[in-house]
Amino acid sequence: MRYLASRTVYMLVILAISSVAVFYAIRLSGGDATAARLPASATEADRETLREVLGLNDPIYQQYFTYMGRLLSGDLGNSLTNNALISKMVVEHGRNSIILGAAAFLLVFLVGVPLGMLASVRRNTLADQGIMSLSVAGMAVPNFWLALLSIWLFASVLRWLPSAGCCEPRQLILPAIVLAAEGTALTVRMTRSAMLENLDSDWVRTLRAGGLSESRVIGKHVFRNALIPIISLAGLRIGQIVGYALIVEVIFGWPGLGQVLVNAVLRRDYPVAQFFSLVLVVMVVLGNWLADLGYLAANPRLRKT
Amino acid sequence: MASPLLSVRDLTTVIRTEGIEFEVVRGVSFDMYPNEILGLVGESGCGKTMTALSVMGLIPSPAARIAGGEVRFGDRDLVSLPEREMREVRGDDISMIFQDPLTSLDPMFSIGHLLTEVIRRHRSVSRPEAEAMALQALAEVELPDPETRMSQYPHQLSGGMRQRVMIAMALMLDPDILIADEPTTALDVTVQAQILDRLLGQQRRRGMSMLLITHDLGVVAAVADRVAVMYSGEIVEQAPVGQLFSDPQHPYTQGLLRAVPQTRHQRGALHTIPGRVPPPQFVPPGCPFSPRCSQALVRCWEEHPELVPDDGRHLRCFNPRPLTPA
Repeated sequence: MRYLASRTVYMLVILAISSVAVFYAIRLSGGDATAARLPASATEADRETLREVLGLNDPIYQQYFTYMGRLLSGDLGNSLTNNALISKMVVEHGRNSIILGAAAFLLVFLVGVPLGMLASVRRNTLADQGIMSLSVAGMAVPNFWLALLSIWLFASVLRWLPSAGCCEPRQLILPAIVLAAEGTALTVRMTRSAMLENLDSDWVRTLRAGGLSESRVIGKHVFRNALIPIISLAGLRIGQIVGYALIVEVIFGWPGLGQVLVNAVLRRDYPVAQFFSLVLVVMVVLGNWLADLGYLAANPRLRKT
Repeated sequence: MASPLLSVRDLTTVIRTEGIEFEVVRGVSFDMYPNEILGLVGESGCGKTMTALSVMGLIPSPAARIAGGEVRFGDRDLVSLPEREMREVRGDDISMIFQDPLTSLDPMFSIGHLLTEVIRRHRSVSRPEAEAMALQALAEVELPDPETRMSQYPHQLSGGMRQRVMIAMALMLDPDILIADEPTTALDVTVQAQILDRLLGQQRRRGMSMLLITHDLGVVAAVADRVAVMYSGEIVEQAPVGQLFSDPQHPYTQGLLRAVPQTRHQRGALHTIPGRVPPPQFVPPGCPFSPRCSQALVRCWEEHPELVPDDGRHLRCFNPRPLTPA
């Protein structure tokens, strides 16, 4: 219980700090917000009026509190470029991002964990070496390059899959695989080493001495123990997926949060960039918190004492 | 004497490191009879545990393998028994308890879960029936408050309690043979006596045959019926316990006995055997103990002695001499 409480407090503190950081970083990035709203022919006086209306001339800390106040009362504001309601944009693009992110997250664990187990059981065989080589490649290849490569191969040359777009299942395949590649590679390696470490423990010998079959010992007991580090690092995998989503969504034209955020930053659309950055931060922090909860639930040594 | 329950003949186990195989158990033979405790003693690294794991078919694979010999149990040879059938034997007919109770139980599952899983592996009983059997086994080793322990996890129990759980797990299916590998070494001195007491009580009550592996000669003298002394992967002397302790013949046995601290009789430095057990890759030709032996002959360096039976005793030595009081 104390562990849970401390993790929750930790999460709230991170959220508060990152909201300030995001707010300041966007203001410090330079550029003129009025350029998003007013035509190039607008006079300096017009621009000044707009800045006054938007509160851009107030001290930054005051702008921060005004903004947070509105945010907490549910007013997310409008986009500077097309005046769209940010709350609407979040729902619409957020759904797309969650589909892509969830698909990648599932791939990471549904592919990574079984491959890691296979490599550990077939330790030092051709299968193990093949899986390990693939995982090195998965970690080494930058995902933007992997994205371009896969578009070239599967869309242009083989014509098996569409190169971009949303939101049919066929269009989800390539971006989800590219987004999952690095996390899967890391999960394979981690699963393998966690399995091998537990295979060497004394209690494995005890279970064998009790007559349990290898598949029972490995598939149930060793796996159950190996799951602890895998779950505890699931938070990192979530962070990775959220971060890489910016690149992958842009390359594959997947209209998610990342794509909107990149466009907003390029156009100095402060309210949108700010809020979408915050959403990504919340997702990462919340993901880590959930991973901590999972770690707590999976580990009897933390549950009761 | 009755026919043996378990007969080990010329058991040889090798370990492979970097492509080269070394014998760690070399032609070991012994018999185990019902209702009898056979003590297996020797220094660390002399092959006691590897002998036990070889009998159980639990040697680390593929690093080690049994290169020869047989382990006759009833009408079966456990060495050549298929793994599937060997699993039926393990935990049911022959069970084993290990040295370190702190690391010998899976930390992710409750005591009750671990015990019932093994029971239901060997007996087709319902979960509640298996739980009742487990509970009774815990009560028999006098684990305090067994109902609560069933739902607890290994980390919630002390070392002594965990070793009782291990003993309960090993005994709950009424095995014919129990192999106890240094069952008390990792425990506090006060707990050691309690655990040993539980183990002996159960052994007598069930008329079970027990292989007690230890380097504690005091324990062996107190509980064993027969003793086998191992050195460098071989049995060098084997005799009924009284005979071995009153009249040890092998210089290594004599050295071990002299190395036991005797606070009442002696003062001054503790007797030690110079040198150490040779690692398996550097076993000298001839008698492996010859480099450390005070009465070695030239023959001992050149020729490997056989284990020779003589009046209930087996001895592997060319030049035995009665023990002179130190």
